[in-house]
Amino acid sequence: METPINYNPPMMMHIDLNSCFAIIEQQANPLIRNKPVAIAAYDTPRGIIIASSYEAKALGIKLGVSVRDARLLCRDVIVMTPDPEKYFDAHRRFKRVLQNYTDSVTPKSVDEFVIDFRGSPAVRRGKSLQEIGFEIKSDIKQAIGEYVTVNVGIGPNRFLAKLAAGLNKPDGLDTINGDNLREIYAKLQLIDLPGINTRYSARLNAANIYTPIQFLDAPMPLLKKRVFKSVVGFYWYLRLRGHEIDQVDFGRKSFGQQYALGDKTSDPEQLSRLLMKLCEKAGRRLRKGGFVAGGIHLWLNFENRTYYAQGKKLHRDIYSTQDIYLAAQRILSNVSIPARVTNIGVTVIDLHPSNPEQLGLFDDSRLDTRSLARAADLINDRYGEFTLVPAIMANMQDVVLKRVAFGSIRDL
Amino acid sequence: MREKINEEVSVIMYYSSSKRLAVPHLIRWQNREYLVGKIGYHHTVMEGRVLHHIYELADKNQALWFRLNLDTSNLHWRLEAISDGNAN
Repeated sequence: METPINYNPPMMMHIDLNSCFAIIEQQANPLIRNKPVAIAAYDTPRGIIIASSYEAKALGIKLGVSVRDARLLCRDVIVMTPDPEKYFDAHRRFKRVLQNYTDSVTPKSVDEFVIDFRGSPAVRRGKSLQEIGFEIKSDIKQAIGEYVTVNVGIGPNRFLAKLAAGLNKPDGLDTINGDNLREIYAKLQLIDLPGINTRYSARLNAANIYTPIQFLDAPMPLLKKRVFKSVVGFYWYLRLRGHEIDQVDFGRKSFGQQYALGDKTSDPEQLSRLLMKLCEKAGRRLRKGGFVAGGIHLWLNFENRTYYAQGKKLHRDIYSTQDIYLAAQRILSNVSIPARVTNIGVTVIDLHPSNPEQLGLFDDSRLDTRSLARAADLINDRYGEFTLVPAIMANMQDVVLKRVAFGSIRDL
Repeated sequence: MREKINEEVSVIMYYSSSKRLAVPHLIRWQNREYLVGKIGYHHTVMEGRVLHHIYELADKNQALWFRLNLDTSNLHWRLEAISDGNAN
């Protein structure tokens, strides 16, 4: 049975901040406005660009380009390291603006929000979503700064709202509805659709689907059985027609910390020190979230482009930094390191609430470990991060700085 | 070029009760005075329980950008960085 296109009035809005980190830096520093600006994890030649201004993008300086290449593309590019606290502050202001319109605001990342306007007071007062979109643009300039622009997309579901937001960058406001859906699809390529990457595009091509219009017209059984070979094909069938299937809230499943080593090393002692710092950061987030973890995952990338990854389920829950570190160090001690390490990451997994606590029969000292962890956290809350640290982390203040969490804004 | 400074500086601050706005007005650094022009961004960060106000602003002549940090535990100002707006 065919599902028709959704002709209901579009009520979903997708808003994203244009070139988020770069534009916030340009807002903060009026002297770098209208200039090519790139934000890199490190400003050393091998550092990787994680965001760039529109002026830089026009010169080919895009996400993933190295600082060295960026400077070859444009000698005058202004390279800066990220200032996460400032971006988080902008994120919070952005959210506050949107919450003035409705309480159904879902942050998708540090620079993206989805707003569900169904039944919102603004819509009940008879305002159109386009009017609200222009108001929001103006409010964001008031709240964050006059240089900041956003893309607004309006659609009957999250997918079409996001697609609409990407149609006219920067500072666009577009609507996709049942009436103009085909017209919009006709102007796009498959990889312009959010969620369709080159691999998915190749899969679709193998089924003689080369354009979004052909994708829209493809029968559901073809997508489900031949192209995606799962229920994902059915989801795409609905999504393309404007039906909502992405209203899913994935709960917190893990806390991960990773670090790209500026000074690559294969020295086990240095790696252990880095690991401890990562465990401390992951542990702080774990405890702040009110969880304990039942497993741990460690991964390493090496200079010779090989990698190591190992996950382990633990016999008892871990909570304190010390326990997380011991579990991670046990894995690290078994790794034969083939070359210098370029990246290291640790993730605590299998989370469950820390209260009530499950005590082991023979764990008479576990409560003390927990109390110690809580006391250390209180001191660090009071006097600042890394005031009280394990001895192995001495003199590591400037290593593993806070970087930007692109995807996760759950801790904000 | 952006340069880290990290020095204490003298600052005259201005507060408007009608606009409910408190902003730096004049910075004295290395025996020179800079009249504050455009405030680019102002945000706060917590270091432990101490609140810090971070002001990023350009001087009146749009020649230099300053990043100032007001430590609310002692009301001391620190100049964290400057920039002339050019590439490093």
